[in-house]
Amino acid sequence: MISEQAKQRMRELASRYPMARSAVMPSLHIAQQEEGYITPEGLRAVAEAINLTVADVESVATFYTMYYQKPQGKKIINVCTSISCYLRNCDSLVSHLEKRLGIKRGETTADGNYTLNTVECIASCSSAPALQVNGEFYENLTQESADALIDQLDRELGVEKRV
Amino acid sequence: MPEMIITKNLDVPGIDKLDVYRQNGGYEALAKALREYQPDDIIELIKTSGLRGRGGAGFPTGMKWSFLAKNDKPRYLCCNADESEPGTCKDRVLMEQIPHRLVEGVIITSYACKVHTAFIYVRGELAKAGREVERAVDEAYAAGLLGKNILGSDFSLDVIVHRGAGAYICGEESALMESLEGRRGYPRLKPPFPAVVGLYGGPTVINNCETLATVPAIIAGGGDWYASFGTEKSKGTRIFCLSGQVKKPGNYELPLGVPLSTLIYDEQYGGGILDDRKLKAIIPGGSSTFILSPDKVDTPLDYESIAAAGSMLGSGGVIVISDATCIVGAILRMTEFYRDESCGKCTPCREGTFWMTEILERLEHGHGHLKDVDLLMDICDNLAGKSFCPLGDAATSSITSGIRQFREEFEYHARYGCCMVSSNEKKQQQPTTASEPVGTH
Amino acid sequence: MSEEKKEELVHLTIDGMPVEVPPGTLVWAAAKQAGIEIPIYCYHEKMPPLGACRMCFVEIEKMPKPPQTSCTTPVAEGMVVHTKTEKVLKARKGTLEFLLLNHPLDCPICDKAGECDLQDFTLRHGPGNTRFDLHKRHYEKPIPVSNDVMLDRERCILCQRCTRFSSEISMDNGLVMISRGYKMEVGTAPGEAFDSVFSGNTTEICPVGALTASTYRFKARPWELKHTASVCNNCSVGCNARVDTRVDRVVRLMSRNNDAVDDGWLCNRGRWEFDYVNSPQRLRTPLIRRNGQLTRASWDEALTHIATRLKEIKNQHGAQAIAGIGSTRTTNEEAYLFQKLLRQVLGSNNVDHHHGAFPGVRDQLTGKPWMMTNSIVDIERASHIVLIASDPYQRQPILNLRMKKALSKGAQIYIVNSAETELDRLATLKLQVPSGSEGMAVKVMLKQLLQNASAELPAAEDVRTHIQREEQAIRAAEDTFGAQMTTRLQSLADALLTAKGAVILYDEMATLTTGNQDLAADAQALAVLTGNINKPGAGVGPLFEDANSLGARDMGLLPDAFPGYQAIDKAGLAYDEILGNAQVKALLVMGANPARHIADGKLPGSLEFVVVQELLLTETAQQADVVLPALSFAEKDGSMTNVDHHVQAIRRALRPLPGAKADWEILVALAQYLGETWTYASPRDILLEIAEQNPFYAGLTWEDLGKQGVRSLEEQEAARV
Repeated sequence: MISEQAKQRMRELASRYPMARSAVMPSLHIAQQEEGYITPEGLRAVAEAINLTVADVESVATFYTMYYQKPQGKKIINVCTSISCYLRNCDSLVSHLEKRLGIKRGETTADGNYTLNTVECIASCSSAPALQVNGEFYENLTQESADALIDQLDRELGVEKRV
Repeated sequence: MPEMIITKNLDVPGIDKLDVYRQNGGYEALAKALREYQPDDIIELIKTSGLRGRGGAGFPTGMKWSFLAKNDKPRYLCCNADESEPGTCKDRVLMEQIPHRLVEGVIITSYACKVHTAFIYVRGELAKAGREVERAVDEAYAAGLLGKNILGSDFSLDVIVHRGAGAYICGEESALMESLEGRRGYPRLKPPFPAVVGLYGGPTVINNCETLATVPAIIAGGGDWYASFGTEKSKGTRIFCLSGQVKKPGNYELPLGVPLSTLIYDEQYGGGILDDRKLKAIIPGGSSTFILSPDKVDTPLDYESIAAAGSMLGSGGVIVISDATCIVGAILRMTEFYRDESCGKCTPCREGTFWMTEILERLEHGHGHLKDVDLLMDICDNLAGKSFCPLGDAATSSITSGIRQFREEFEYHARYGCCMVSSNEKKQQQPTTASEPVGTH
Repeated sequence: MSEEKKEELVHLTIDGMPVEVPPGTLVWAAAKQAGIEIPIYCYHEKMPPLGACRMCFVEIEKMPKPPQTSCTTPVAEGMVVHTKTEKVLKARKGTLEFLLLNHPLDCPICDKAGECDLQDFTLRHGPGNTRFDLHKRHYEKPIPVSNDVMLDRERCILCQRCTRFSSEISMDNGLVMISRGYKMEVGTAPGEAFDSVFSGNTTEICPVGALTASTYRFKARPWELKHTASVCNNCSVGCNARVDTRVDRVVRLMSRNNDAVDDGWLCNRGRWEFDYVNSPQRLRTPLIRRNGQLTRASWDEALTHIATRLKEIKNQHGAQAIAGIGSTRTTNEEAYLFQKLLRQVLGSNNVDHHHGAFPGVRDQLTGKPWMMTNSIVDIERASHIVLIASDPYQRQPILNLRMKKALSKGAQIYIVNSAETELDRLATLKLQVPSGSEGMAVKVMLKQLLQNASAELPAAEDVRTHIQREEQAIRAAEDTFGAQMTTRLQSLADALLTAKGAVILYDEMATLTTGNQDLAADAQALAVLTGNINKPGAGVGPLFEDANSLGARDMGLLPDAFPGYQAIDKAGLAYDEILGNAQVKALLVMGANPARHIADGKLPGSLEFVVVQELLLTETAQQADVVLPALSFAEKDGSMTNVDHHVQAIRRALRPLPGAKADWEILVALAQYLGETWTYASPRDILLEIAEQNPFYAGLTWEDLGKQGVRSLEEQEAARV
């Protein structure tokens, strides 16, 4: 559901820019906040607010990787695997997280709690390896600190004990 | 430690807030600019300072501003804070820790360029940076530093913070404008250049985040003062993002012209190679620049010297590779990046990065052929200079320079189906370090 | 046709050959002019350069970083271009190799094979082999993007011609690029189709077999097709088309660019709606009603029967008991002969066709016959386009594209209509008024002009008398419209006064709606008062219904005019009168279906004898006493006159259906049986006679029509003399 309030914010954005079309990206961000990923309804809401066709909005939405095309977990873990993190062993960090969460990269846990993605450089090169959880940075990670992070996230999610 | 300009006061507690920033001299440069200078004077001052773009291309900033077309269309400033070049993490720090320095730079630059609407395009992934900049802009509005009649002057400016959503290509200035206009981030045909026909068809100046954040210091200290740092042609200081296999990776501000070796080995900076391994290769300006061999380690870090050594100063992202790393794996990783980030508009980049990644992947995993090495070089030749924008060229830099310098590693992969680096490690029976060396399979 | 101001030409050298072209020409086009082929995929002459496919490389001396793309580089004085250097050839080969990496090798079953740019350029410019020995990308084989268009993503080379057509030409943004990089594909919104009346163009401009027409798929190989340069028969725009036929069937129509008419596009109706030509229901022999049943007869029987009955009726009731209803879709030559048969052979002026309500033969204010005073190209040059009770998207689709082209050049569009139209969302102003009050909207504007204009308006007094007479009705209309809409109409009227150029158009058939009977005259007055007549980018007139609606008028298929709008002393019966007057006993119908315009669909019982020339057994033909099988536009030669008076040739593309005859042949034979000897051996003989009599066609010959036709106007001819 895209709330009326969200639609109103999209319309306001459209009038803030010199050209209404410029509001398409911020409006897609709003749509994603509302629904967790970009749904056909989200596309329609943005299209209506800015007076574009749905196809036009979809074309923009699918160009940018931060607009998710499918549902994501409550905690979206994006691990950087670009060169600087690669040189600091990010691949074993990813493998470790895959084992710990029981999913492969690009997947979401069955309980819908976690999505594990690998992403391109997130500007943490000097503090590699690094990842983001729902946009917040965790850097200079080791397997131990990664475990501690998951423990903390588990607590936030109210997950009892992982088998 | 040399005098710091861009990173000055970075660690002052609360410097991200307007009052602390002001207590430390913030926005005095703006006041001075509005009070003492006509817009054109500022452009001259920046020309004198020798400031060059810190995004990658290194174009003289004052000159860029003076190219703005004089017509009756609204002018725009875009701050390119879409920092995404692998190995580069300086703009993020500036935005997260001292966002007002950027906002001040944006206001002064807008005044100099007679711009009344400015955009700060913040990379989508940098959530905190985006928040901080937005907050700084709000604070500036509230304090009369933005909006109508700034500090009582005739100058008015609106700033809109625009967040990206995951596309490296939007760091290319024309793609950034397309993106700001709500389109797919395809680069535009040039000419016309943004200074003539840019955002919404108006003359547009686009500068990197660090470049703009440097402007207040130049206003405060003067063009000659700034020009006294650095070298004859590469003046001033810049932030080098040291990453990879060094002991102390980090963002270090240095005057241009300091040797690479100082950055990598000096105890104040990199402190030497991780695990005291041997230096194998340096990528001096982000993953789009050519790989340099260890014998270039004394090259001064300025635009001209690095170019003479066969690479580019680029974004200032210095990536250090030690002999623990297999070059094939590292290059595969960089090539994957360009495959995933190619916008797809033009054929050579879209298909070439796809094909090169496939070939590198099979080499890396031991299914490659000897002929793949020459094939890679020829694909690079069909891509470099043939693509619509420089992303295609960038995708080939590491491959061509890597094969030229480390051909035997590629051939080893093809011949033996495994990695030369890890085989050597085994032969030498070295004790394994705490962290497993990269490139072993 | 170059009305542009003469510009200095730019001189350059391409492969050693000196070339002269206007400034702004792209190197690619200059090379084409010099007869040098430079391969292209993304570039299309009707769209701005994109520079994406990287096929059109050339080397230009003194330019940095060779090679350059010729489709994005404008010529410059003294430029030296090489199209075949080693660098260029390698780069082209490289790009082709890239394009072929993921392209499937399903050419044997691909519709495009034989007319595929990827095949052709690979043959001429490409590598003979590939070094790609990995897995190609795979997608589900064709998926429909609409009922008419199928998409094969594996074949797609991502040149973006189709999506740019959708965004920049048809401006519907229905077909778009999805995802990016190597995962990029063409697509539509989730669950939505690319439903555009223009979608077929994408199948034509697609350089490979990625977009194909569902009606054409697997129907033919391109090399089996016979191409005939002709004109679309489906509306009044008269788009130039190539009729592609295989054996005895039309398989598709393709665009044949005419900048002055269609600008290189065809709508889906034009492209694919020709079932009636191929229909197995086509009439193959004459039919005569015997014992209440239509039964087969020979041509001799049928014609003899017709001649006998017509003579009987004429003898019994006089010539005025005979009437004729002509066609808006047959050729000028046929329309001309039809009225000639009625008037000269049978002696009756009761000739008409189905058309809009126009007062008199000519507009009183301007003295011009009823037709657009502007050309189609003028629409593109206009600053204001006012569409009153007309919907070109539905009825003259390709004009809709011309209006969008105007829009992209900065024009404003104003729409007064009782229904929603496709163009509404792009219009500066849309006024939705009750049906039948569109005409009153124009009167409100006229009233405003007469009240407020400070300057002397041309012909103001003539219009004032008329408007004053309508004062009460106008005030009532203003009440209905409400204050806001009335004010907007008034401002629009004022804006037209100062417009650089306004084109004011209405649908011919809208004048038949009760309340709109003055629409034609009032629209004309609006243009005259605001000075939007006789200047570039300005004009007024009706948008006609059919391919030869205007030709029918020109040819005198009117009760009150001879060919060329020459006055008749005693007017005959008009269309409605013919169908309603019991004095009419015999009716000849050529290519028309008047039964559709009668409430109960039944021709009047007072008719004793009805002859119908038709392709199919229409509602009218079913009620005829004699039905004569005719030929379609695809099976005969002749000329047609489109909405802006381009006289264009249609040409025989198919072997005529055995047993059927062209309408003109039928009319010649009928004249013969009625005792008159007409010696026309072909339509060109008839055109010669038309050219002698009709000032709009003066001096025009079949050869003059060529492939692109001639926009012939009375004034031009007068000037020529």
